[in-house]
Amino acid sequence: MSRLEDLKARIKEALPGLECVIGWQKGYDPLHNTPLFMRSEADVDKLEWGALNVHNPAVYLPSFRGKKIGIVVKGCDSRSVVELLQEKLIDRDGVVIFGMPCDGVVDLSKIKAKLADAGLTAGKVEAVAADGKTVSVTAAGKVEAVAADGKTVSVTAAGKAVTMPFADVAADKCLHCQFPNAVLADAYVGDPIAPAPASPAGNADMAALDAMSVPERMAFWRYHMDRCIRCYACRNACPMCVCRDHCIAQSREPHWLSQEDSVTEKLMFQVVHAMHLAGRCTECGECQRACPMDIPVLALKKHLNSTIHDLFDYQAGVDPVAIPPLLQFKVEEDNIKERGW
Amino acid sequence: MTDPKNPYLPEVATILETVQETHNIKTFRVRFDDEAKMAAFKFEPGQVGQLSAPGIGESTFVINSPPTRMDYLQFSVMRAGEVTTMLHGLNAGDKVGVRAPLGNAFPYEAMKGKDIVFVGGGIGMAPLRTLFLYMLDNRADYGKIRLLYGARSPLDMAFSAELPEWLSRKDVETTLTIDREAEGWEHRVGLIPNVLLEMAPAAKNCVAITCGPPIMIKFTLEALKKLGFEDEQIVTTLEKRMKCGIGICGRCNIGSSYVCVDGPVYTYAQLKALPNEL
Amino acid sequence: MAAVKFIASEKLPEWIKALAGTRRVLVPVEEGGGVVFRPYDPARKPVFGSDATAPPKAAVFPASQELFSYAYGKDAEDPGKTTLALTPKVEAEPTVVFGAKPCGARGFLIFDPVYVGKKFPDPYYIAAREATAFVTMACAAVENTCFCHWVGSGPADTAGSDVLLTPVAGGYLAEAVSDKGAALLEGPYFADGAAKVQEAEDVKAASRAALGEAPDIADAPAALLAAFDDMDFWRDQSDKCISCGACTYLCPTCYCFSITDEGVGNTGRRLRSWDACMHFQFTLEASGHNPRPTKAHRLKNRVGHKFSYYPTLHEGLIACCGCGRCVKSCPVSVDIREIVQNAVARAKG
Repeated sequence: MSRLEDLKARIKEALPGLECVIGWQKGYDPLHNTPLFMRSEADVDKLEWGALNVHNPAVYLPSFRGKKIGIVVKGCDSRSVVELLQEKLIDRDGVVIFGMPCDGVVDLSKIKAKLADAGLTAGKVEAVAADGKTVSVTAAGKVEAVAADGKTVSVTAAGKAVTMPFADVAADKCLHCQFPNAVLADAYVGDPIAPAPASPAGNADMAALDAMSVPERMAFWRYHMDRCIRCYACRNACPMCVCRDHCIAQSREPHWLSQEDSVTEKLMFQVVHAMHLAGRCTECGECQRACPMDIPVLALKKHLNSTIHDLFDYQAGVDPVAIPPLLQFKVEEDNIKERGW
Repeated sequence: MTDPKNPYLPEVATILETVQETHNIKTFRVRFDDEAKMAAFKFEPGQVGQLSAPGIGESTFVINSPPTRMDYLQFSVMRAGEVTTMLHGLNAGDKVGVRAPLGNAFPYEAMKGKDIVFVGGGIGMAPLRTLFLYMLDNRADYGKIRLLYGARSPLDMAFSAELPEWLSRKDVETTLTIDREAEGWEHRVGLIPNVLLEMAPAAKNCVAITCGPPIMIKFTLEALKKLGFEDEQIVTTLEKRMKCGIGICGRCNIGSSYVCVDGPVYTYAQLKALPNEL
Repeated sequence: MAAVKFIASEKLPEWIKALAGTRRVLVPVEEGGGVVFRPYDPARKPVFGSDATAPPKAAVFPASQELFSYAYGKDAEDPGKTTLALTPKVEAEPTVVFGAKPCGARGFLIFDPVYVGKKFPDPYYIAAREATAFVTMACAAVENTCFCHWVGSGPADTAGSDVLLTPVAGGYLAEAVSDKGAALLEGPYFADGAAKVQEAEDVKAASRAALGEAPDIADAPAALLAAFDDMDFWRDQSDKCISCGACTYLCPTCYCFSITDEGVGNTGRRLRSWDACMHFQFTLEASGHNPRPTKAHRLKNRVGHKFSYYPTLHEGLIACCGCGRCVKSCPVSVDIREIVQNAVARAKG
């Protein structure tokens, strides 16, 4: 039995005692999977596993509190589950965690860019195959041949196939993933795999920002936030933002932000959001992935996380019994010398 | 009159006087600063206005004075959130903004010649007041008029200054009730639906108008049905979160019915035909 | 309408530049990983032929705008009394939105009956609408999220447009849709277009054919109402929804807004800003009661409004232009096509 079939069998076994089990299924086209809520065996048969499972299903868990629910997780998703447990936003006996080793997921915007380079559009994809090393996308468009550095394009009469090295289109987080296996699971199918060596390409966004002067950084953020439409997809896709229905972005009490469509208000929201996530964010990247306007909001959280790491030797969502450093108080901090002696 | 050229722009009005009806209900009597507009202002009983406390916001209130008494426009505000709290802080001489009249009116023409039963609970008496006084000012047009007004306790009764007059009028039967016994209370004690059943108004050729907290409306409806009232004979007025008040911002709909233009007055028959999202 | 014209590809930038001399011209440009409408800048090459990430509705219906400003003061004759002055701000900049797809402009076909009502016409909208012209580009290619043909539209729909450009060899056929549009087709950039008409028709027909057959959703209004109380059905449709506002704000036909007072001390402004029925706060009442407390209720309202309530109020016009942005940009790929079809199938039993 393949690993996926084994996983499906385990889910079917557990299903009667659960409200549902959350996973992924095929989406509206070969380039998209979409979250799946399995309530019947027929639902479980639709379960997919692979590079298109880009969503973090942990975001749905807090709304199921009080019920018993199952969830299929990649390694990064499991860290969100752990963080929710640490903050007591979900109950351990209310969630059954299914995991499998993860070879990484794609970043659809990188695939879109690759297709555009080849004169194709992501809007007419016919087939996608990913084997962990390469991604092959067949799409309609103008005929063109490209061959370079391990990437080949085969031209056919009916459509076109573009083959890309996985490393070129993987999500940034996968390029330096330290947790390819669920950090917490009730049912783990397959053998845990070792994390791949971290590629600096995964932090290219941080490197670029660090190289900028402060005025340049401000200009960068003002430029990008101008596009923001205040849809709050970034907030609502974040598993940790359980306060979304009472968010300062929209509340009048307290009245921290106006509803003006200005860069100032929008950047203020992002900064507050990042601050509220400091020490809690597991860098699942959903905020950036969810943004329909391609704003690189993850960098703000990554920056605060690296500060948290330096100050508190802490990484979010790894140890279910740890308490995030900003949610606790220590009389003497190890790395913060307040009095200079 | 809501400026037909700019229906979002409130008319500046001055508060002439206020009445602290209960611990959380305050009545405001206002006149537009523009006397010509005040003189030209027309509305029908049941229509509402958006009262602005500029700087904080706007909220919808029924104009609870009748169009037959135009010394001022009266709004009674229950303190609940940001806007109503700001309004409660205002006194005679202070300014507010008014966008009115908005919404539809009670079917007071169709009610002519019929017996009328008003059933009001708490702040729900406010929308009833406009129609009640309008009918008293056009008494001959209507049959027997009964008012049943209830509140949790005597201190929760609004319009206390007017109740003695309403009680003493011979051309209307006024019944007041509170939920539990209270010292010094000379009127009925009992929940509104129960008192209504005891009053047992005849449903024939009668219209019942009711407004109040959702739980009171639910049981009052049951009582009215028990008494034989048909769905078309029962009228109520709804509340919804509103912003534009003119059927554009898309917020106050129940299915395809926008409460700010098709309502807030609905018959029970109309409500039953709408999807269940009150 | 008037005679059709032809504009060569190399003349297009000149025409845009000329238009930009007397008014604001918004063109689609690449920004981030997508395409947005920005004021014309000769240094930034417009990208035509693909659908912009965000539609140009902000040109007529801005994400936020001032309704009026307020100022409290003291009465000069009686300092104990306050004064209140309200100053409305109804203004619109003459604008041409250049290069939107027909679905982007069609949105205003849905806005107009609501905002240009007989009883309470919206002066802010009317001013912007009159000041804005749409030069749209018919689609030479379609995407797998396009479903304009389901909702009475198509790749060459002229609803909401003033000029329709259709890509042909060497340039574009330019057809005036309105008088406003005819006035734009002046200048040395244009030649007679009669010879290109057939080619343009072929392009339009090919795009329409590429969309395939539309399913029959004539029963959608009744089917959606019939499903209103079936919360299990709406739970299934909304399970994966995360209740953000991406679909709403990127939708050319979504027109809901909020009104908030923003100020400090004695002065400030009353703003209107985009709002989404997908948010919890949209219908939340001060008492704490919320008629749409869950995302299932809210998704039901959004789909219900577009495919049932609005058509019922406006002679069958569907409040959706089939552009597919909601499907493409939804972080979890909620697909409104699926939901409508599920409702229709459910009604059939």
